Amino acid sequence: MKSLETLRQELGIAEPWVENRGTWWLNPGTVSVRHVAKVMNEMHARFITITAYQLPGTEGFRLEYHWDLHGRLLGLPFVIAGNAMESIFDLCEAADWIEREIHEEYSIDFTGRAYEPLLLRKGDKTGVNLREDPNAPPKPAAAAPGPKEVAK
Amino acid sequence: MSYKIPMGPYHPGLEEPYKLDMICEGETVQDAELNIGFNFRGIEHLAETRNYYQVIALMERVCGICSFIHTLTLCQAMEKLAGLEAPPRAQYIRVVMSELERLHSHVLWAGIAAKLMGFKTMFMTCFALREKVMDVLQAISGNRVNYSMNRVGGVNRDVEDPSSLLPLIDELEREMMRTVIPIFTTSSTARSRCAGIGILTPEKAVSCAVVGPTARASGINQDLRRDAPYAAYAEMKFEVPVEKAGDVRARLFVRALEIMESCRILRQALTDMPPGEIAVGGDKFNFVTGTATSRVEAPRGEVIYSVSWKEGSRNPARVHVRTPTYANMPAVRWMVRGARLADTPLIQASIDPCYSCTDR
Repeated sequence: MKSLETLRQELGIAEPWVENRGTWWLNPGTVSVRHVAKVMNEMHARFITITAYQLPGTEGFRLEYHWDLHGRLLGLPFVIAGNAMESIFDLCEAADWIEREIHEEYSIDFTGRAYEPLLLRKGDKTGVNLREDPNAPPKPAAAAPGPKEVAK
Repeated sequence: MSYKIPMGPYHPGLEEPYKLDMICEGETVQDAELNIGFNFRGIEHLAETRNYYQVIALMERVCGICSFIHTLTLCQAMEKLAGLEAPPRAQYIRVVMSELERLHSHVLWAGIAAKLMGFKTMFMTCFALREKVMDVLQAISGNRVNYSMNRVGGVNRDVEDPSSLLPLIDELEREMMRTVIPIFTTSSTARSRCAGIGILTPEKAVSCAVVGPTARASGINQDLRRDAPYAAYAEMKFEVPVEKAGDVRARLFVRALEIMESCRILRQALTDMPPGEIAVGGDKFNFVTGTATSRVEAPRGEVIYSVSWKEGSRNPARVHVRTPTYANMPAVRWMVRGARLADTPLIQASIDPCYSCTDR
């Protein structure tokens, strides 16, 4: 717990850590993701991944950054209104592939870095796989579980 | 004069499609570029269109080797959102299946590594052993690859007589001790092909945030089974093997030692398996709105699933998967730098890559 508190102080965040479903969450507020990445490096936290969620309508995206600190799973959510987020690739080499993947899936631009295609090929359109058009009709719901699925 | 040699996407040394463009000076690799995505199936997108039964079957197919681990990670995340906890017997069965899958994966990898070393006899020995592990998996689940064991709230099948599996574990361990481990650790072929090649320094391993045996072979002492226990791992006694050399041989040693630790865990789990039900929650589930994240130590390292759900919905709003090869693969660039061209198939194989997982 001490290391979490030290980390929070180093980050300069007043709000406390909140444990929810096994993940320790900290609201970064106005703290930049690059400052978070620098402090995580200093604390020897291991970068795990970034998970992107598209928010309803035109609200933008939520990017959840995950690190591991001595076996604790940390989560810091950043909400972006537009399509751009600062890259942490130069501070955290391990973020390279996931930034490229999110760029391809959601067409989010991680500023301050160059891109090479990762899952797509050169010239392929980005934002096709997971990004939803806010004006498109809602997707049909998945079918209810049938008797064969339930019987398994 | 430097020149570029492409290896892949289809190459006799690689069982799955990916491409390594190597910039060479003579026979020495100066740098490498990695290209993945040849197996991209859009599984994360598909998951958003499947109901809570179908999504488990879908994610089981992210990886052929770690199919149990993927559904375990997904089900653990879904259980958090449904407010369920698998009963103790199911937790033990999950440990048994996870360790059998680790044995299966490590023995399969040892066979492929032996083949790449030019050690065909060892390849056949490893694959014969792998058959025995698969026989145990089949005895438990009825299946040899996609086991369909996990469900939200527990497991689908019981291990009716756990003690009857103990002789099979003893036989596996005996065979490992008699052939695989001594040959891999002492033979001059294995030593000459593996020692001092494909080195990943501890500093680079930290910087690349590699996981699993790849990290432990570079001196990083991390294992989720011990550091953030799930299922019944908190009740198991085992060691986490760590080597410092960071070369292919160290990765071989770590996996060999992990095979022995897996046998030890299996024996504990099968002996101490508590009686009781194997699943809770019935057939219909109510998931709350929110996000849940789950992590599991797969044979290749940490797998993480982030699952998001909207209350009342049958299908997840989002499923994000970060597989261990996705974390380990970028480090291959640093491992092959300075290596001889002929060693590069073995170096890339030493992380036990899975492109099916990586591309999803």
